[in-house]
Amino acid sequence: MVGFANCGRCAYVDKEDKSTNYTTEPVLTPGTPSVLQIIAGEYPYYGNAPADMLPYRNIEPYYRYWLERLPFRGPGRDYPDPTNLTSLKVGLLSPPPYGPEAKRGEMSRKGVMLAFDEVNAARPPGKLPFELIEKADSPQWGSAANIAVEFSDKDVLGFIGTIDGDATHVALRVSLKIETFMVNCSDPDPTLTETQIPWLLRIFPDNRQQGYRLASLIVKERGLKRIVVLRTNNRPGRVGARPFVDAVRRLGSPILQEINFKEGERSFDTQVAVIKQAEPQAVLFWGNPAETGSAAARLRSAGVNAAFFGFDRLVDPQFAQFAGPAAEGATATFFFDPEKKDSAWTGFRQRFQKRYGIQPDIYAGYGYDGAQLLLDAINKAGPNRYRVHDQLTSLDEYRGVTGYMRFDGRWDNIAPVVTAHCKQGRWEFDPVASRQARLSNP
Amino acid sequence: MHNVRPCRGPGVLARLELPEFPSPRPSPAGRGSSRAQSSKPLVATVSQTIGRQSSLSLCERTGVRGTWRPRFRSAGALLSLGGSLIALLSSTYAATLPKDLPFPLVERFESFGIKDGFPTHKVHCVLPASDGKLWVGTWKGLMVREEGKFRKIGVEDGLSHQMIVCLVEDTRTGDLWIGTMRGLNRYSAGRITVFTQTSCGLPNNVIYGLEILGDTLWVATAAGLGAMDLKTGTWSIYDHNNTVMHEPWVYSVTGAKDRLFVGVWGGGILEYELSKAIFKEHRDPDRDFHFDLVPDDGPVSDVTSWVAWADGILWQGTYFGLARYDGSRWRTWQEKKSPLLSNFVNCIYARGRVAWVGTDRGLSVTDGATWVNYRSNENGEGLIEIARPGQPMETRKIKTRLPDDFVLGISVDDHEAWFATSDGLGHGFFPPSAKTVTAAAAKNSTEKDKP
Repeated sequence: MVGFANCGRCAYVDKEDKSTNYTTEPVLTPGTPSVLQIIAGEYPYYGNAPADMLPYRNIEPYYRYWLERLPFRGPGRDYPDPTNLTSLKVGLLSPPPYGPEAKRGEMSRKGVMLAFDEVNAARPPGKLPFELIEKADSPQWGSAANIAVEFSDKDVLGFIGTIDGDATHVALRVSLKIETFMVNCSDPDPTLTETQIPWLLRIFPDNRQQGYRLASLIVKERGLKRIVVLRTNNRPGRVGARPFVDAVRRLGSPILQEINFKEGERSFDTQVAVIKQAEPQAVLFWGNPAETGSAAARLRSAGVNAAFFGFDRLVDPQFAQFAGPAAEGATATFFFDPEKKDSAWTGFRQRFQKRYGIQPDIYAGYGYDGAQLLLDAINKAGPNRYRVHDQLTSLDEYRGVTGYMRFDGRWDNIAPVVTAHCKQGRWEFDPVASRQARLSNP
Repeated sequence: MHNVRPCRGPGVLARLELPEFPSPRPSPAGRGSSRAQSSKPLVATVSQTIGRQSSLSLCERTGVRGTWRPRFRSAGALLSLGGSLIALLSSTYAATLPKDLPFPLVERFESFGIKDGFPTHKVHCVLPASDGKLWVGTWKGLMVREEGKFRKIGVEDGLSHQMIVCLVEDTRTGDLWIGTMRGLNRYSAGRITVFTQTSCGLPNNVIYGLEILGDTLWVATAAGLGAMDLKTGTWSIYDHNNTVMHEPWVYSVTGAKDRLFVGVWGGGILEYELSKAIFKEHRDPDRDFHFDLVPDDGPVSDVTSWVAWADGILWQGTYFGLARYDGSRWRTWQEKKSPLLSNFVNCIYARGRVAWVGTDRGLSVTDGATWVNYRSNENGEGLIEIARPGQPMETRKIKTRLPDDFVLGISVDDHEAWFATSDGLGHGFFPPSAKTVTAAAAKNSTEKDKP
């Protein structure tokens, strides 16, 4: 018998952080220099944050992490290879097929499967084929933990997944126990790699990179000071918007308000009223495109003339569909220009189109790259999870169909993101040369 | 529904503290590279030098890139560093171990593993039971030692999953509770009963920690804290819906007489006062994982991997260092700035006012002032490092060592210690006189041992 608290476990709603035992980070005068210098041989600090967006940049913290990579110091690299294998198994943890991430998850899965098909087709005779073990998450908290255990039971040599930050977190914690490597291709949660578990490589640029770019664009390039954040009231919204909120404060322009909305919200009456009263110059959206598009439309119709900015999901066609004319002039960050013409990407698009009859999106691209990375590591390391780990954790850079990747001390891809502007319902991407962030150790 | 959060105003700049133990230790860049790098002798390079320069020369001579740099820019800090004599004394096997420590030294280790019938290298947990049996949780089943021989109990015997993560004994009934990666098991009078998230109120099948306090079995799972009333069999679930935790990722639980401490992944530590049914949150004031702004200001990180309590002292293990809370004040320790072997703390066993800390680089034992480390050198020889307050670190070789430096579970009593490691089970022996030389520890008798 369950005593209580069993209701509503699937419908997670974020709650206000009531803890007051925090050190309050001061708002420094713009131009205050950073005392934190990148030292030759160290990995870029804090997700390659620009110097003026570093936390407490005018003092040296007592202790800094991730200047070097955490090794896995346990044994296992010399364990003999199993002799009874008929395939080399790899897990794929996908989002629930009926949830809000289902479409993105399906595209990622298609990219993964294409990589498997191509790698297996190119395997020399006598080499064991790669086998994909697919599992779909469920909305219940902790489901991904159980699935990761199932992967271990199947003796996978590594696994790929997933989009949802909550699910990826719990699977990652299990990966430490089962000592099986996870390659993440689609979760932008900045805190994922901050857990210090050395069994994860993330090729998907996280919200930190987008937050820095947006902060620089809004405060430094556009000179906008009155900023409001409108985000989903869930964990991804909270941790996703935070790098931006921190960054603009560090640039001397703390946000006026951080306002939440529930997934599925369409009216936004309360939020619009509060935002209008604040008279913002910029509104930053973090959320799914239908909700943020609706919010944009409501804000414009209420007479809010602020410039609209947002994270990558603004680029989804649903945003412009729901926003209507309010989408005009909106600016978003994105991973790369999906219309780019380099041969790796165009070749992938052709192969994907041929295989599935549709064009790939960025989730398909990163899924493909993640699978290629993992399969290549297994190919080089053999059927030993520890040597697979060593292969992947030794990566500093990689060039996939999605573009150039640069991995930092936490194995995050810190390659700069691009910006795009909505003009007459279409997104126009800025040239790569205008990127604000520069790799410290390219 | 909306939530308007006020902006935070300017605050006061934090004051930097000086390290308590300035003697640095080169940090390995990996197991293999560590061995390769540390093949050069450490002793002569620093035995007679002091302060920052000696620290730097240690790093340079051991060839470790960027492992220890001066982080202190004030003259006071440099003087403080320079004022501490750093000396490493290496010798062949030390015939006599020091007797002035506030806790017993392990004078000898023995190891058990595959040669003894273990089904796998990896051992997650170990529990000496009140009836004299020794229970050992491994990657592939549960081992029990009876009359000197190990016997395996596995899935074929009814366990819900082969991977055993944690164990706790109900000393009143003799029942053994077994946490696995898929479900909870009770071993009672030779019978195994399985509890899963679909058969009872268990929050999730992945179980990371167990504790019995009074009539309640507390279960740390990947999706919340479960509480089973051992008299009625009813369950309660504590998660983000009814506690202050933002995410229900619970990874450790320990009883503390009238309260419970819960290690939460990303949520710091929850303190649950049983009589009032109130949850209180202990969070890292820095609010960020990338740095520790000042030492001793709270939990060293919000990502808690382990909590342990004894004698009024709470210990927090994280992958960012170690923290201690005595009810009013926090202390924190990190590698390179203290004798703590590694920031990657896998487990803690609290006994008296002493913590036995299992890391990925060996075992650190401390009462917060004196430290003793057990680890292996690049040649696979056992080392003991002793760091007394204000004295140079002393390093000795011992003939035996832990089976592996990746320590995942610990159990300690007056006479011996057991260590679950990634390459077998370790058994540590205290010298016969250990009880007499640990008067301080004995004085602070372990309240946890008196349920």
